[in-house]
Order: sequence, then structure tokens, then C-alpha cells
Amino acid sequence: MRRTRTIAALIATLSLALAACDSGSATTSAEAGQPVDGGSLTWGVETEPITFNPHQYAQAKARLLVWNSFEGLLTHDDKGGYVPLLATGYEASPDGKAYTFTLRTGVKFSDGTAFDAAAVKANIDQLRAAGYAPAVAAVQLHSLKDVEVPDPATVVFRLTAPDVLFLDFLSSPQGAIVSPASLRAAKNLKAGGPELAGTGPFILDRYTAGQEVHFKRNPAYWGSRPAYLDEVTYRFLKEPSVRVGALTSGQVQVIEGVPATDQAVITGDLTLSKGLNSGSAYSYYLNAAHAPFDDVKVRQAFRDALDVNTVLDAVYRGTATRAWSVISPTSPFYDKSLENAYGNNPARANQLLDEAGWTQRDADGFRIKDGKRLTVRLVQSAPFVRDRRDILAQTVQAAVRKSAGIDLNVAVVDQGTATKALADGAYEVFDNSRADTDAGAALNLLLSSGGAINRTGVTDPEVDKLLAQADAGTDRLGAYTKIQQKVVTQQALVLPLYAPADQIAASRSVGGLGFEPTAGVPVSAYGVWLAK
Amino acid sequence: MRAVLRRIGTGLVVLWVAATAAYLALLAAPGSTVDTIVGDGADTPAIRSQIITEWGLDRPAVLQYLDYLWRAAHGDLGRSYLLQRPVSAIVGEQVWPTLKLALSAAVLGILLALVLALTTRRPWARRVSSTAELVVVSTPPFLIGIVLLSIFSFRFGLFPVSGDHGVAALVLPAVTLALPIAGVLTQVLRDGLDRALDEPFTVTARARGLRESAVLVRHALRHALLPAVTLLGWLFGVLLGGAVIIEQVFGRPGLGQVTLTAVNSKDMPVVLAVVVLSALVYVVLNTVADLAYLLVDPRLRRS
Repeated sequence: MRRTRTIAALIATLSLALAACDSGSATTSAEAGQPVDGGSLTWGVETEPITFNPHQYAQAKARLLVWNSFEGLLTHDDKGGYVPLLATGYEASPDGKAYTFTLRTGVKFSDGTAFDAAAVKANIDQLRAAGYAPAVAAVQLHSLKDVEVPDPATVVFRLTAPDVLFLDFLSSPQGAIVSPASLRAAKNLKAGGPELAGTGPFILDRYTAGQEVHFKRNPAYWGSRPAYLDEVTYRFLKEPSVRVGALTSGQVQVIEGVPATDQAVITGDLTLSKGLNSGSAYSYYLNAAHAPFDDVKVRQAFRDALDVNTVLDAVYRGTATRAWSVISPTSPFYDKSLENAYGNNPARANQLLDEAGWTQRDADGFRIKDGKRLTVRLVQSAPFVRDRRDILAQTVQAAVRKSAGIDLNVAVVDQGTATKALADGAYEVFDNSRADTDAGAALNLLLSSGGAINRTGVTDPEVDKLLAQADAGTDRLGAYTKIQQKVVTQQALVLPLYAPADQIAASRSVGGLGFEPTAGVPVSAYGVWLAK
Repeated sequence: MRAVLRRIGTGLVVLWVAATAAYLALLAAPGSTVDTIVGDGADTPAIRSQIITEWGLDRPAVLQYLDYLWRAAHGDLGRSYLLQRPVSAIVGEQVWPTLKLALSAAVLGILLALVLALTTRRPWARRVSSTAELVVVSTPPFLIGIVLLSIFSFRFGLFPVSGDHGVAALVLPAVTLALPIAGVLTQVLRDGLDRALDEPFTVTARARGLRESAVLVRHALRHALLPAVTLLGWLFGVLLGGAVIIEQVFGRPGLGQVTLTAVNSKDMPVVLAVVVLSALVYVVLNTVADLAYLLVDPRLRRS
């Protein structure tokens, strides 16, 4: 696989050189005029979803498919808030431990079942059923006590403790409402597909594994208008150069996922646009549970030894957005004051290492202390390596070796080996980014003492208290600002690298494309049209 | 009759050994099934225990293995850990696209090899053909695929880029897969032909006044075919391995993609099904090869 990827990059470089004679620069605005009804669109996507059941959703790349046929009670607006979708409104109790939702009436699932409060309750019951969606039940629904249905248009969610992230769940794919009749009848419930009915503007009617998924317009859609397109086909094209070729030759009208090496060929009749994802930035988490990163000076030295901008430019050719905080820059909780506040200071890095006792150098130029080399291990699980993060790690490796004599040992391994290394604590650096729409959800997993993805090994009562305070909805901005400053600048537990982004390239005849508010991933096909 | 039964018996043993070996290999691989189902998502003891209960992973490995064999013997291949669908359905719906690709590539590759080996007898043609064969054999199929796509699909729009949509969509993937096969087979056939033409029987045939083309096709080719038939098993390996890459490049459905995902995610039921299926095809192909020897070489029929 590594060889194929190298060759792909090679070919991309070649086509880039060939395209250099093209002048016109890509614009991000579509020139498709006014919305047009009808037509069929083909969209090349990078990822074939593991499942089409929204409750089982785990791939941010599959989000654009979910919203075609499913909807939640709420959805995100572009200011980090929520707007009602299948609900008409909601009210929180004064103690924050109950949410009363009034539901839209007259909405039907595409299988004819009526959408009502009982359907909402049936979905929550299903999510909490043993063995169905353990991760959702344990994380997003951890504070849910019970669901009451006083009348068909009203649902009351009672919580054990105030939890503002519960609203985030209701606007997430996992919180989408599926027809209870289809939940009962589906033979392959967890796999989803045409068997599961939702309320969305499209109906998934055909899925050919390994090839494509097809949606047709839902003529009975409840919204102010039905979808513009008659039908939309998503083709699974895993190879970036093939996706780009399919677009430039007009075989598909839209593609998603345009790597840096291919962006230069998107010119002329094609447009390119980019959206930053929500959640946590792609960062290195330093394991402070044992030496050498148990010493804050060594952690700060690792951070200061690295010139992140140069490394990103080398790997992504200026297309990556530098991250300064563990929280994505699009989040309302992002602490802008962190920008340019730290890092890229090799002199200080070397001084810190000297102070920490790593004064000697070995024959290869690496620092040593008590005869032990300053080695830190980064273990990457091959199935989850994307955005050339393996190449990025190698570039970081070379950079910290040169500037401070730190030996970053990078291993790309199969998932079993990676999980074992994490379980045994046989790592010093852990890399991760999360696409949660509410950055708080990511921080809970990554930074709280008992967090399911806490890889820094740190149990900090202050951080736990701040996270709990934010979950309860009290001064969230203040709490998250304190946390960011603590883990990034003061403690150097997190080294943010770049903000993950999605790219869309499309023919100019396609209108209505864009990125979902808050999440920052490509939109569903509801507002997309094809100029004639 | 007894020979046929013995053949089926050994075939079954081969299948069982293949399934067991795959099972042991996956068992020995680092990390547990639970780890792979958890993936890079949230990971708490509560989540783990639910997964373990769902798939019965707390039973001893021997018990799980025997249970698997018992159910497999009854035609139940289990459910995919990852895709949450019956394995028979996953493999079943992907066999035909791969078979179509493999068969057309095999036919194309063999035909091309026969034509090339028989027509390029002159020294200059030989040199040109040999060089071309060497190039396609040593080029990764991935690159051949991308180059063919760039020329015939992206530039001239003659063939669709992806999917399993009729004959047109099969042309480029089949050619990509056929070229390396044709390269190797042509080399083997040509070598066989050269040797056969040095044999005394060729002199006899020529002395009888046979035309050179008849000597070549009727006599020399039969001898040259024997080593080529032996390569049938190799051919299958190339087809299956090539399918993994070609299906990815051309966005085609098929077993190659299923296998790759299943191995990467340690999706035991799917891996086992694919291994057993491959072993089955191997057994069938080797039987066919044995029969083909008899067809090609009358001397073997008597013994």
C-alpha cells in the first residue's frame, strides 16, 4: 500500500507539472445561477461508509450521506447554537436537568410511518438496547435518565445532571430519528441501507457495495420545498488521482477530498472550496505518565523544537491550516490568544533540555541522559492514517532531530499492535483529531481524568472541574479558555499541528454546494442543483 | 470412481487446513477482536463488555473455533464484525464482479500470450515483444491502471472511470490485469516453443513436408503448453492479488476490496470465508490443470 501511495503522489506531481501552463485561478463561488429543479448528479466520494444506520455513525466522511435521508430534532446554526429541525422548539428546565421538546406534526417517514413522540422514544430505547450502540449509550447518553411522552407532539428528556452536550447529541447523526417500524423490521439493522426509513429530503434506494449508493428525491418531504435534484449517486473512488480525473473528464460533477498535490489541476471550469472541520485539531498528545515526558521541561522542549509552519508547508504545500489550540479554529470556544504565543524556538528547546539533564549527545547527535537516548515513540494505526499523517510524522521526526537532538520514533502498525501499545503505555506521543461538532465533547474524551481517549495519562482535578462546569453550561467559554491555556501553553501536554479540513471540487454547473455550519464537512444534496 | 472420491476428500482436507491456518494466524496477530471493533472511537470497560457479549468473545478460543467449524459445515458463515451483515451475503454479492474481471483478464491474457508467442518468431519482433513483456511484468498494476485511465478515460473519454456498468467499464480493468499475465505467459510459451523446435520430432515433421506454421501450432505448441498449464495456480494468485489493487483504482465492487478491508480490520468471519473460497478455487484449478495435462499430452493418458 505504501508503494501505491508514493506512486499516486508521483503521478499527481506529474499532472501538476503538466497543468502548470493553465492560468485562471480557482474561485470558490459557483456560477450555476438560480436553483433549477430536476436532474441527476454524480458525486465522487473518498469513503465508503461502514454503515448506513445513522445510530451507528462513526465516520465524519459519511456525514454528508446521513443527512440526505435522516434528520434529528435539532440542527446546528453557523454560530455554534441549535435550530429546531424535526422539533418546533425546546425548553430547558431551570435546573438544567430536563428538556421539553415540542415536535413538528404531520411529518411522515419515507416508509409511511408517522413521526411522533413515540417514535423519538423508540429511537432512544433502541440506542440504549444492549449490544446495539454501546459507544453512544456510554458517552452521549451517559447523563440521560429517562424519556417521557406526555402527548404525541411532546417529548421530555430527563437528565441525571445538567448536560448541555445532550443538545449536541440531538443534532448529531447518532441522534437522528429512524422510523421505528423499520428499526423493528430491518434484517441487517446495524448495517442500515434501503431497509431503514428516515424523514429526510432523499430516500436511499440502492446500494452497491464497493461501487456506489443511490438516493432518489423524497416527493413527500415535509420541508418548505422538496430537494432540487431528482436523484444523486455517490461513487466510491478511493484513489485521489482517479477522483480528480473523473471530475476533469466530466464523468462526475462533484468530488470530495482533494489532496494538496491535486489541487492545482482544479482550474478553468472547475471550482475548489475548503471547509475547516469542527472538533479537536490534529494534535500530538504527549504521554506524561512516564519519562521523559513526565518532565514538563522536556514536553516544552519538544514543542519549542518544532517549527510547525515549515513542516506543514513541506508536507501540504501551503494548503494546511496551522492549528494553535487543541480546539478547532472554527469553534466558538477557540482561544485566539494562543496564536503565535509559543513554539518555534530551538534555542529555548535546547536550553530546557540542558536544564532537564539531557546534556550529553551520542554518536548520532541525539541527546542522552544516564546513558539513555532521548527517544519518544509515536505509534500510528495504519487503518486510521489519513491526510498523509505518516509523512507528516516523518517530517516532524527529521525536524526535532535536527533542532534539538530528540529521537522521535515513528511506527505505522496494524491496529492490534497500536491498541496494544496504547494499553501497555508503550508510547510517548499519541496523535488524534476528532470531528465532534461541539469541541467540548472531544475535550471530555481527550482530557478528562477518566476520558475514554485520555492518552496523556494526566489526572488533573482542575481540568476535570472545568470540564464538568462547562458540561453544566456555566461559563463554557471561560472554562474552555482556561483548559486550552493550561494544556497547550503551560503544561505542553498537547501540541496542535493542523486543523483538519474537507475540500469540494465541482463543475461550475453545480450550485448550492458548501459546508455544513459548525461541522464544516460537505453539505448533503438537499440544497444542491444542477444548471441545465 | 475411487479416484474422484479421493480427490474430493483431499480437497475437503485442504479447505479445512486453510480455514484453520487462517484462524490461527488471526488469533496470533496482535490485538484482540474487541480492539478492532472499538477502533479509534471511545473505549470504556462498559463498551467493551457489550461488544464481548454481543459476539460471544469471552468463550475460549477453541470453543469459538469449533463453533465456527460447526456452523460453517451447516452453511452458516457468520456475520461480519465490521459490516454487520451476513458474510454469505457480502461475499456472495461480490463474487460475480471479481469473477467477471478475473475471467476476462485471464482469457485476454492467455489469448494475447498465444498470439504473441506464435507471431513474434522473427528476431527483431522477438526483441520488441520481449522488451514490452518485461516492461509490463515489472510495472506495478497500479501504475498501468492509472496510465490507461489517464489516456483512455480522462483524455479521450472512451471508457468510464469506475464501477461495474456493463462491458465498457470492464475493458480497462481487464486489460490492466491481463497485461502482466500475458507478459509472463508469453515468455514461458516462447521458451517452450524454442525448446520444442530443437527436438528431433520437429525435424521429422519438417521432413514430412509440413508447413512451418503447422509445425509450430500442431506440434511445438503442445509441448510448450505443458509448463504454461502448470502456471494455472500462479495465474489465480495473480488475478486475486491484482484484483485488490485494480478494484481500488477503478472503484469496482469485488472480493479484492472486501478482503483488504477485512484483513485490515481483523474481520475474522469475512477473512475466513475468503480464504476458504480461495482454497476451493485453488483445488478446482489444480484438478483442471491435471486434466488439462491429459488433454495436452497423450503420453500421460496411458500411465
